[in-house]
Amino acid sequence: MAMQVRIRLFATYREIAGEGALPWTLPDGARLRQLVDALVGTYPRLAAHADTMLLAVNLNYASPDVVLQDGDEVAVMPPVSGGRM
Amino acid sequence: MIAIQRSRIDVASVVDGVRRDDAGAVVVFLGSVRADAGVRALDYEVYVPMAEKSFAALVEGARSKFEVLEMSIVHRVGRVPVGEDSVVIACSAAHRGAAFAACSWAMDEVKRIVPIWKTESPAMARRAPSRRNRRA
Repeated sequence: MAMQVRIRLFATYREIAGEGALPWTLPDGARLRQLVDALVGTYPRLAAHADTMLLAVNLNYASPDVVLQDGDEVAVMPPVSGGRM
Repeated sequence: MIAIQRSRIDVASVVDGVRRDDAGAVVVFLGSVRADAGVRALDYEVYVPMAEKSFAALVEGARSKFEVLEMSIVHRVGRVPVGEDSVVIACSAAHRGAAFAACSWAMDEVKRIVPIWKTESPAMARRAPSRRNRRA
């Protein structure tokens, strides 16, 4: 069985993929890490950012170990903008 | 009051939104676009539903950590020219210590956890630039 999630990409990642939202099909029980690996496989320029990606599932920051569910919205985000105090 | 908007932020209305008769202090922070070399504006990209949720959590955090009475957070999205405010945080409390501390904490958290990205918008030449003087 397969499930479908929606990936949201922002800023430089959106520019790399050329899309801000992508439907993505994964096997049932897949973890967030598998989705990220597949995404980087499709867009190799994301590989340089793999260590600093922020991940969220359904609007909450999430660990790569989280198990995804059908219909989840997964955000793959660059570090937020920061700025000096 | 929590808002993410394209239009200019009306600071007075954000401040009025946190006023209360039992508040002896109102602190407001304005984050403005700075004229760094070659920068005429910043472009803000926001993951709106997650940012709204994060702002709501920050307001609740301010109430529970600092005895804040009210807090409003308004952020711009899209292009913000130099000199305009990209973020306004207003906070009321019985006394100034809590209001200053909560406002400072909330702004640090906005920078740390709220999904907002900015990119510099280079200065535009007044007339069509030649290739030689066009900024990269």
